Amino acid sequence: MSLLTVRGLTVAFRAINHDVPVVAGLDFDLPRSGALGIVGESGSGKSMTSLAIMGLLPAGATRTGSIVFDGTELTALPERRMRAIRGDRIAMIFQDPLSSLNPYYTVGTQIAEAYRAHRSGVSRKTARKVAIEAMERVHIRDAARRVDDYPHQFSGGMRQRVMIAMALSTEPELIIADEPTTALDVTVQAQILELLAEVRRDTGAALILITHDLAVVSEVADHLLVMRRGEVVESGTAAQVFSDPRHAYTRALLDAVPRIDDTIGELRST
Amino acid sequence: MTRYVVHRVGGMILVLFLVCLFTYMVFFLLSPDPAVQICGKNCTPERIDQIRENLGLDQPFLTQFLGFLGGLFTGREYGGGTSIIECPAPCLGYSFQTSQIVTDMLVQRLPVTAVVAIGAAVLWLTAGVIGGLVSAVREGRFADRFIAALTLGGMSIPNYVLALGLQYVFVVQLQWLPFPQAVPFADDPGQWFANFILPWTVLAIGYASSYTRLTRANVIDTLGENFVRTAKAKGLQPSLVWRRHALRPALTPVVTIAGMDFAGLLGGALITETVFGINGVGKLAADSITKNDQPVIMAVTLLAAFFVVVGNMVVDLLYSAIDPRVRAGAS
Amino acid sequence: MIMRDPAAVACLAYIALIVLMAVCAPLIVRISGWDPYEFDQSAIDPDLGGIPLTGGGRGWGGISGEHWLGVEPGSGRDIFARIVYGARASMLIALAATLLTTVLGVVFGLLAGYFGGRTDMVISRVMEFLMAFPALIFMIAVLSALPADDRQYLLVVVISVFGWPYLARLIRAQTMSLKQREFVEAARASGASRAQIVFVEILPNLRSTILVMVTMAVPGYIGTEAGLSFLGVGLVPPNPSWGQMIASSVSWYSVVPAYFLVPGTFLALLVLAFMVLGDRVRAAVDPGGLL
Repeated sequence: MSLLTVRGLTVAFRAINHDVPVVAGLDFDLPRSGALGIVGESGSGKSMTSLAIMGLLPAGATRTGSIVFDGTELTALPERRMRAIRGDRIAMIFQDPLSSLNPYYTVGTQIAEAYRAHRSGVSRKTARKVAIEAMERVHIRDAARRVDDYPHQFSGGMRQRVMIAMALSTEPELIIADEPTTALDVTVQAQILELLAEVRRDTGAALILITHDLAVVSEVADHLLVMRRGEVVESGTAAQVFSDPRHAYTRALLDAVPRIDDTIGELRST
Repeated sequence: MTRYVVHRVGGMILVLFLVCLFTYMVFFLLSPDPAVQICGKNCTPERIDQIRENLGLDQPFLTQFLGFLGGLFTGREYGGGTSIIECPAPCLGYSFQTSQIVTDMLVQRLPVTAVVAIGAAVLWLTAGVIGGLVSAVREGRFADRFIAALTLGGMSIPNYVLALGLQYVFVVQLQWLPFPQAVPFADDPGQWFANFILPWTVLAIGYASSYTRLTRANVIDTLGENFVRTAKAKGLQPSLVWRRHALRPALTPVVTIAGMDFAGLLGGALITETVFGINGVGKLAADSITKNDQPVIMAVTLLAAFFVVVGNMVVDLLYSAIDPRVRAGAS
Repeated sequence: MIMRDPAAVACLAYIALIVLMAVCAPLIVRISGWDPYEFDQSAIDPDLGGIPLTGGGRGWGGISGEHWLGVEPGSGRDIFARIVYGARASMLIALAATLLTTVLGVVFGLLAGYFGGRTDMVISRVMEFLMAFPALIFMIAVLSALPADDRQYLLVVVISVFGWPYLARLIRAQTMSLKQREFVEAARASGASRAQIVFVEILPNLRSTILVMVTMAVPGYIGTEAGLSFLGVGLVPPNPSWGQMIASSVSWYSVVPAYFLVPGTFLALLVLAFMVLGDRVRAAVDPGGLL
């Protein structure tokens, strides 16, 4: 049985007299420990898909269809029980790590907060230890000291590591990463992707990677979903999609990915 | 952090010095000759010269200013011959019209003004924060619009109009409150408290209106922040999301501004104190203006500047303790 | 867009009415029959300390066909005429102060923001200093020390001196960011002079900021003028001003409430009208709430 089964997922915004769909009838399956890449331009509905799974859609948006997570129908779940899953069994990593971290609290506090929210009766001390361990696991050097630092004292890449540590602290079965590398420098992007792949290998968590950048998905995901205007235009294994893109839109996206020979040409010309 | 504090305190002292100099200069240049005022009707030019000499008014500006500054730190003496008046530090001058040392006059009035300011601040912060929160939670609904209309009204009515209106309704017509008269707290706490109800309300309404708007805007902004979404994604209880992640960032600036406004009020709530006949610093200033008692007016100006500048600094330092980003930016 | 909003239209109408009153004051007073300085002993009761008389009873401040809004207790001067002339004083002072503040704020803000460096440092320090000053008390102190004639000019100057830094701060920040924009770079590259860049390229882009600040400044200054007059350092009798009318009503308010109610209502409504309008203008030109 797959970990996550999505059928006919539709997300719509209520306009004055009609609904504007941003995700229209999405279907996909994600096996345990699988890695799915959802690719599309901005406005293709990929971020709304992730928020719909988390049950965090903005006010005015509605979702219909079915989202089954480990045998539980999430769309029918009362908010209290959804909250128990959110952040514990499904964790999320956002695009901009600086604005996604609260500037008023140390990173340790914010990581520990995620852990304590789902483990009743955990002392501050234990939670702090968990936070340090999580930070070590994402290769933040000197974690025992840096746990008391504030987000602004970290670099962009390090902040995203903190976000990943936060997601890892509860040992989730599914991690949703929404454009985790978009706000980062190119060299740092590669490191974060490597880290995500490593985390998946070590913990066995399934991963949904949402991005507009095919190059990013190609490194991590084994299954691909290409979205355009709220609909899936192409799906298949990563190898299939890359070697034999059937939809013109996918081909256009693929053409936008810089190839090694292109890069060399560019380097010469500059 | 230490460097930041030293830097701020240095800046504060400079501003205070400039305020002193500027105020002193304005009064030196503009005010009518105090010697003539003191001398009264049966005056001879010799007598005026005598007074000038006694007061040091024949000295050049810089000497007089330094004398004033010196008085602030070490105290000074006024007059000459048989009638020497001792003015201990911090000496803010001598009021010839009331024959009192200005510092004593201020010290007497300051507690009254503090009572006015504290009561009003408690009221406006409570009302402003609650009003702002309600508006933010019910954004765009009836409650929000109703509160918005109230705040516009609250900001538009000049406080003396409000003061007279409320006094007419509650004291003259309904007689719910006694006619204001100065009663020491120990004699009759009930009456004492009743006297302050209207001044507190009048002062608080204007501030509460702008605090409501500020709180509303801040809360709505903060709720849209990405870190609030992160907090929700962690599966935190809504009460925790609000308390830790929305309210603290949203209310910190509100409290900061409250600190500055409070400090500003300590320099005297001029209009409110005058209308209600409260013997605070503000009424002292207003009375001195009518009597043209320059040393007192100048002292109140300096006192008010002192509170504003010190208040700003304290708030800045507190803010840097609360908001880690400021600390980083400063060092 | 603003014209379709009934509240904004009502505010505009009220403001227009007051402006009209201010402009045509002498004409209006000729129609109403009383000039603002004229005593009418027949309208007050000398046996009761000068309380205004009204047909049967008292308390409505002597409102009658003769005196449309009643008379001033003690002197019997016509309140309507004084309101009309008071509007003149309020509007003139508030508008003049707004104009002067805007000019000072825009010029210094542009200078500081565009030239930066030492110019910016000096201007910024002066601004900080002025903003740290207890403006109201200092204004009162200065005004009280100065001779009472020609107060209106002094009022405008004193209000503006303490008012401009708030606008200049905003203009400075926006100029600094505009300076970096492509169209300014392009103008500079094509050889435009500094003055051309500042006035032709940057200034037009500050229009909405200035518009919002101006509509918010007018009610503030109307209130300041009235407050200063209320405290006895603004316009002095017999020159009529709303704030000073309210001030002189303090000793009468329990007997003749109309005497403070009339100028109080005019004043509060005028400030309210400008505030509502300012709010709408801000919403229209700055939907993102950046100002």
